[in-house]
Amino acid sequence: MNDHTERMRGKIPGPDTGIAIRKSICTICDPDSQCGLDLYVKNGKIIKVEGSKENPHNEGTLCSKGAALRQYVYHQDRIRTPLQRVGPRGSGKFKPVSWEEALGTITNNLNQVKTGSGPESVVFFSGYSFWYRPVLHRMAYLFGSPNIITNASVCHLSMIFSQILTLGLPGGPDIRNAKCLLVWGTNPFHTRTGIARHILDAKERGLKIIAVDPRCSPMAAQADIHLQLRPGTDGALALAMANIIINEGLFDHDFIQNYTHGFDEYREYVQEFTPERGEALTGVPAEKIRMAARLFADAKPAALMPGSSPVVHNTNGLQNHRAAFALVGLTGNYDVAGGNFVEPLSYIFEPGGFITRETEFKHAKKRNEMPPPIGDDRFPLWSLLYDEGHAVHLPFQIQSGTPYPIKAILAFGINYRMWPDPDFMAESLEKLDFIAISDLFMTESCRRFADIVLPACTSVERSEFRCYPERYVIYTQPAIKPLYESRPDVEIIFELAKRLALDDSLLSQGFEACLDWILEPSGITINELKKHPAGMPVPNPITFPEKKYLQQGFVTPSGKMEFKSMLLEKYSKSFGYDALPVYRPPKYSRETTPELAKDYPFILNTGTRLPMFIGSQTYRLPWMRNLRPEPFVDLNPDDCRRLGIKQGDDVAVSTAKGSITVKANLTNQVQPGVVHVSPAYIDVKVNALIEADYLDPISGFPGYKALLCKVEKTNDKNDKKK
Amino acid sequence: MDYGIYIDIKRCTGCQACVGACMDQNDLAVENQEPSWRHVFSVEEGIYPEARVMYVSLACMHCQDAPCSIACPTGAIGKKETGTVSVNPALCIGCRICLTACPFGVPRFNNEGKMQKCTLCSERVAEGLEPACVRICPTGALKFGSVNELGMQVGIKTAVKLVRSVLQTDSCGS
Repeated sequence: MNDHTERMRGKIPGPDTGIAIRKSICTICDPDSQCGLDLYVKNGKIIKVEGSKENPHNEGTLCSKGAALRQYVYHQDRIRTPLQRVGPRGSGKFKPVSWEEALGTITNNLNQVKTGSGPESVVFFSGYSFWYRPVLHRMAYLFGSPNIITNASVCHLSMIFSQILTLGLPGGPDIRNAKCLLVWGTNPFHTRTGIARHILDAKERGLKIIAVDPRCSPMAAQADIHLQLRPGTDGALALAMANIIINEGLFDHDFIQNYTHGFDEYREYVQEFTPERGEALTGVPAEKIRMAARLFADAKPAALMPGSSPVVHNTNGLQNHRAAFALVGLTGNYDVAGGNFVEPLSYIFEPGGFITRETEFKHAKKRNEMPPPIGDDRFPLWSLLYDEGHAVHLPFQIQSGTPYPIKAILAFGINYRMWPDPDFMAESLEKLDFIAISDLFMTESCRRFADIVLPACTSVERSEFRCYPERYVIYTQPAIKPLYESRPDVEIIFELAKRLALDDSLLSQGFEACLDWILEPSGITINELKKHPAGMPVPNPITFPEKKYLQQGFVTPSGKMEFKSMLLEKYSKSFGYDALPVYRPPKYSRETTPELAKDYPFILNTGTRLPMFIGSQTYRLPWMRNLRPEPFVDLNPDDCRRLGIKQGDDVAVSTAKGSITVKANLTNQVQPGVVHVSPAYIDVKVNALIEADYLDPISGFPGYKALLCKVEKTNDKNDKKK
Repeated sequence: MDYGIYIDIKRCTGCQACVGACMDQNDLAVENQEPSWRHVFSVEEGIYPEARVMYVSLACMHCQDAPCSIACPTGAIGKKETGTVSVNPALCIGCRICLTACPFGVPRFNNEGKMQKCTLCSERVAEGLEPACVRICPTGALKFGSVNELGMQVGIKTAVKLVRSVLQTDSCGS
């Protein structure tokens, strides 16, 4: 048995140690994760973090980032009070001000823009995390601005669009019931650890796994077949797989005949993509393409697991992903158990088996009562399919002032380095009349651009509502009081709504009233949720049947699955979109720009997430930073031998646009001719290697993960000494 | 009864959650160059196009006949009833002979030169809780229990696999 000292040392909860467990959730990550937390609290301070066993999503587990939550909450960079800029913009000089003063300044400035140029000239931006988004959306619309803009413009939305255009409603992989899982460019073991155990359990039960990944990732290590394609060639691989499935008669004849549109033209188009041509385009051996196509088509049911953005961060990304999702319909795996099953979303991107009024809540005003959102003229499908402005187009519209000027931003978590060519974004932000940023940490974006900085608090210092696909809901209670003068984002929004005189009966009643209104159709109430601090199962969850299209048709213009998209076709003349999932190599590639490829022979991929970082959010935490202390570029050892580069050497990674210096990390996880740089590093501006308009013309997504670069050893001091 | 941590290498995916949990449980000040007690090693096998990466999470194995303990000249390293190999910092003279003796390269030395390593979260284990690294592991690669029980779990898994392969052979033949 432990004595008291040992119980204290072991952080054992109990009245004698004064340690109590409080329940919360971690929102460092995106809504696909957000694991339940047990926080060990002593004297109002968190002394240890654990995964909550009650939460069915993580069942007591966490990822490395969650393990470091304490350093996230108590980090020295936390903003302590509202701040007002005193020096010129960029000087980084601020003075503490009261909340009253800060909110007053914001109110005056936003109202001034509204009177001077119109409400649409104010942008309401949201980065991570997402929990307050419906409230911010409502405020933006009530204010009269269609420009609620989020990181969705560079994140998972294009992947969703590729499904909407092809299948109508997106369907997620039913891992537990699938016999074959086609994992397309994602490594959930490092990005969605909540599903890691289910994949491995299914594998032990006999699930076959095909991994499509340019890297030898941990996911690829678990795969029966690894299709190690060159970055940006996903479309060619998918079309070559379709070629086998069609020509060998492995497709679902009934589904194709009765429920699809444009199959004949698609079949004709994929004839170009023989496995041999597929090999030439992608680098994947033809025989492996055949094997994978047959395995996926024969194993019924089979599911495709997409990543949020690896495929779509490419200049032909949306079409490439359409080609991949076409395989789901081709093999009859759409909306069936064990395939890609359609589950309506309940709240903030997650299905939970209940209906809410989230959209009605967000749309306090009809969209057509306001001017079109940013990017509507350049990426018309974006604003047709989604109710936000396009973030990538924001700097362009700030610069051009057309169709209307942009004057101010109210941002909740913004990092200008998210944009390709961050210097262009920086220049653009500097042109604005007014910028207010709410954040946890005094980031570079706060220091350089903000006129007013507001201290937000973390998930463990506030109350929020979440739902999980496991039919589970939680309304958290603060585990500790907000640190310093920080406040929950929603409180900031409600305070501003009051001052902006938006005169809204819901916003004026506070967060819980808003949630009760949103949740009304589900029968879930905040009162009931409060009785279950660790969360509770959804009462009477809705069970959705398979093949819902039998009753309601496909949610596409033709009412069928569309190999040939009628929406894309509509824009074929005006915008040059292809209706079929046409493959085009990356805008900068050996195939498209052979001259450029002579000087820049490597393919650059700036996407892969490291397990301890998400964006740059946890880069500042010593426990996480210690696991990868310096910015690295991952290089294949064969390439390095040729270039005379050794482990840890300083190397310059350059494009025609820019250059960065990082340490060389020699690893067989990357294939020859390809280099990977993580976007997490605060001290390296990797997106400066990418032009601001290196974009997918349909989705507007930046081609972060497929362009050309060169790699050179820099003459560091050590070499000179020798 | 001897407790231990079993690692299922096929399920370790290099996420490093165990390393983070160990730091959080033990307040390891890595920012002050204090050592981490658990490490995840990535091991690459083969080259393109046959390369593969595997991961191994390692910390003290709490050996029965612990070489570090035998080698320690001051008797600072001992074995507890639960099977935990533990270090008494008051007796440790920082000679590092334990590092030479340990076949797993586990001993690490803090800023005072004293040996530090995994304690098998013995205070948690005494309360019926699992070690922090095992609790957090999102893939179930790390398992905790009495060593013989852990062996049984591996045995059961293998038995299931054997039965499945026999059944599969049968159905192929019929």
